[in-house]
Amino acid sequence: MTNVNVQNRPVKLSPAVPGFEFDEEADLAQSPAWFLDGTHSVPPWTPLFGWFWINFCRHGMQYGAEKLSLPTVKGWDWRFKNGGGYLTLLLVKTEEEKRQREERFRVAIRPFVENYDGLWKSQLDEMLGLYGGLKKLDLDKASNIEVLDNFEQTINVCRRMWEVHMYMMYGTYTAYILFENMCRELLQIDDTHPLFHKLIIGFDNKVFQVDKRIWEFSQKASKLGLGDIILKSEPENLAKNIEAAPSGKKFMAAFREFLNEDGWRMQRMSEMNMPTWIEDPTPALTNLKQFLVKGGGFNLEQERVTRSKEREAAEKEVLAKIAPDQRGWFTTLLRLAQKSGVFSEEHDHYLDLYTHAMMRRSALAVGRRLTGGGAIDSAEDIFFLIPDEIRKAAINPDQFDLKPIVEARRAEWQEWCKTPNPPVILKEGFDMDQAMGVLVKSNDPIALKVVVGSMPVIRPELKADLHGTCGSPGVAEGLARVILSEDQLADVQPGEILIAATTSPSWTPVFSFIKGVVVDRGASLSHAAIVGREYGIPVLMNVFVGTQQIKTGQRIRLDANMGALYLLDK
Amino acid sequence: MAKKWIYALEELGQEHLELVGKKCANLGEMTKLGMRVPPGFAISVDGFEKYMKGTGLGKRIENYFVSQGDDLRKSIQKQMGASRVVKDLIMATPLPTDMAEAIEKNYEALCARCGDANLPVAVRSSGAVSMPGQMETYLNVRGSAEVTRRVLEVWESTFNTRAIAFRLEKGMPVAKAPIGVAVIKMVNAKSAGVVLTVVPTNGDEDNVVIEGNWGLGESVVSGDITPDNFIVNKASLDIEYKLHKKTKWVVPTGNGTAKADVPSHLQDIPCLKDDEIRELVRIALNVEKHFGVPQDMEWVVDQDLPFPENVIWVQARQAKFTAKRKEADADYIVDQMTRLFRR
Repeated sequence: MTNVNVQNRPVKLSPAVPGFEFDEEADLAQSPAWFLDGTHSVPPWTPLFGWFWINFCRHGMQYGAEKLSLPTVKGWDWRFKNGGGYLTLLLVKTEEEKRQREERFRVAIRPFVENYDGLWKSQLDEMLGLYGGLKKLDLDKASNIEVLDNFEQTINVCRRMWEVHMYMMYGTYTAYILFENMCRELLQIDDTHPLFHKLIIGFDNKVFQVDKRIWEFSQKASKLGLGDIILKSEPENLAKNIEAAPSGKKFMAAFREFLNEDGWRMQRMSEMNMPTWIEDPTPALTNLKQFLVKGGGFNLEQERVTRSKEREAAEKEVLAKIAPDQRGWFTTLLRLAQKSGVFSEEHDHYLDLYTHAMMRRSALAVGRRLTGGGAIDSAEDIFFLIPDEIRKAAINPDQFDLKPIVEARRAEWQEWCKTPNPPVILKEGFDMDQAMGVLVKSNDPIALKVVVGSMPVIRPELKADLHGTCGSPGVAEGLARVILSEDQLADVQPGEILIAATTSPSWTPVFSFIKGVVVDRGASLSHAAIVGREYGIPVLMNVFVGTQQIKTGQRIRLDANMGALYLLDK
Repeated sequence: MAKKWIYALEELGQEHLELVGKKCANLGEMTKLGMRVPPGFAISVDGFEKYMKGTGLGKRIENYFVSQGDDLRKSIQKQMGASRVVKDLIMATPLPTDMAEAIEKNYEALCARCGDANLPVAVRSSGAVSMPGQMETYLNVRGSAEVTRRVLEVWESTFNTRAIAFRLEKGMPVAKAPIGVAVIKMVNAKSAGVVLTVVPTNGDEDNVVIEGNWGLGESVVSGDITPDNFIVNKASLDIEYKLHKKTKWVVPTGNGTAKADVPSHLQDIPCLKDDEIRELVRIALNVEKHFGVPQDMEWVVDQDLPFPENVIWVQARQAKFTAKRKEADADYIVDQMTRLFRR
């Protein structure tokens, strides 16, 4: 609880995530190293989103590790600090417990080996069913009680999403890591090697299918004579201008119908304080416009055919090197590794993006009721309240004044946004190397593939300006385009090299007309790597300081094969 | 109203397994899937029953087995003796006239349909469950009298020594073992063989194996000769050839078949053309998809018809192989995954 002054009135402010605010003394005693989740909580989260993530991602990770009975780890613990999510590993403590968990693990992991597709599909069906349930309520006509109930159900859906998310992720990544190990052992290649990449590419996934639908709409727009108006309109006027044009109304109606199905997403995957594609089709229309600017076919499909052929050739090459009696399990494992890439992409669409869109929908509905009753000023203020406060006023908003709390939290959040959170919080005497060591030793699949990634190998003889790891092979030279937030995506020009902290599914369409990608953080199952490989463009990851040191318009040379980046004009 | 006991293959499907046995039910199902299957008819277990009941033979056989008592189980000699006795009983008991006429009518309809008054057919046993000793196949059978004789012989085969022994061992009723019979047009075989949508030696489900020889499929199915072997990758449709010198084949004779020498000009050339191979694979994969399990199928390429109508199917069933292999692979992978956490 903090006492703050809002307009000279004292306000007792609850922490944004009660029970999970970072406490230096207690938490560093529990674990000497807490890592910032830079991929998701930069820039800082709004309090309500932070509440959801910290509570349920944390729960999901422990659930997943427990359900699979991972022999050495029990998931991760999370804390909220100044809008950032910090996580630390929970380790199994005794050899005896490791042995017991091993026994259960063998049984629990088996469905992933024997029926991966069935497993994923059944959980997907479950989630889609849950979303359908939430959507049933007409939020405008419902009573306050029903709207509050919808919010409570949404909380449950978020919890369930994270359970599914982490259970699948742990199982999937275990298979992927095993496959990578086998490739190291039997073929002397790891997952940054071009041959490895070839083995796992050439597959469609839901995210690509959504991109294709947008491309199809761009072709339709062209045929309807809307091309011109689209090319001439600024992003913020696209929807309006298309609607006003002849046959534009009908086109937009069809486009909105498509978005009602597949537009349950915001431009930032890990937040809820911006419009979904359904509320504001501008980002989707911007992608559509970019397809028209680029012209030509939906080249990802052609690329996929090429990638599939390359993959088949790679499979043949690799299997020839494996002893005949090993080929059976090796092929099974290969198929699982191939599914990892598809899962990596699809879970973004069906789990993270979708659930967060549902959270926004429900929260805004309560927000509108609170605004109507005078408890807050506008619906979007809801993101600065936490569930207990929302529950307090949801049925009878006319009885409560939550504006001081909103103001206090918003002020807090704005402060957080001014100062970047430290990438790690370490106990006195404990350093980064030791922290990394613990992660590696734990054998936690998420630690290995997400948090640690692959550390760049610095080759001084290359005299490169920046070093990174190869997410997708190739070499490219061109002008850099540094993107710090999603609304800058509209600025990307064909032939540029994208520089970002990280990427997400909303960014996929730009991959079709850029020459290469450089991300500050990433690993081989990162979005940028997967999509780059499918499009056949080079991706360099884990450069850490790309967005800081490279400037838009700078001429650069990217050599993903060597893990090197050169600034050609300085 | 007399119970129906003869069916055209087109009338049958998987659901008739108990009624007409696996072979007939599968052939019916295959017709439903639009596969090219030789036309024919099936005699159901009700036909077997009707014969046994109508002639009183069923009772006589039952009484005979009762009289043999419990020792039958332990003595192979006794089983052999019982087999001879029962088979003699059957041989001595002709089909009731109405049944013989029904078979004749169906055979003649088949002849008319195929444009051959003396149509050669295959008469094959079709049990609901595969049991050892019961596999009787009569090829190149002509004329309704012959057909009827062979049908009786298929029924007789349920009392082969091995079949009796099997039933005794499993505690199944020994006096009664109804079985279906398939009567189908013989294909004028250019080449024939098998296709498996899984490699049986290692459970590899990414490839299809085809084995074939010139002439009738019996030479391949019996395992007597080394056939041509083609491995086709399901994804790329690349063919790996393992050809063998084909010296012997099975051909139709007057009223039956025989093993003979393959003409020298055919011995070294592949018994299947690439387009035939791909057509076999295409259809086999469709069937696999339909049944959801790997398939073990028998095909014949008809000498007289143009491609692709000449690719004809006579058998389709679940492939036996590999649950074991897959289990072993899964075990290995789970083992290795567990080790990941021990490093």
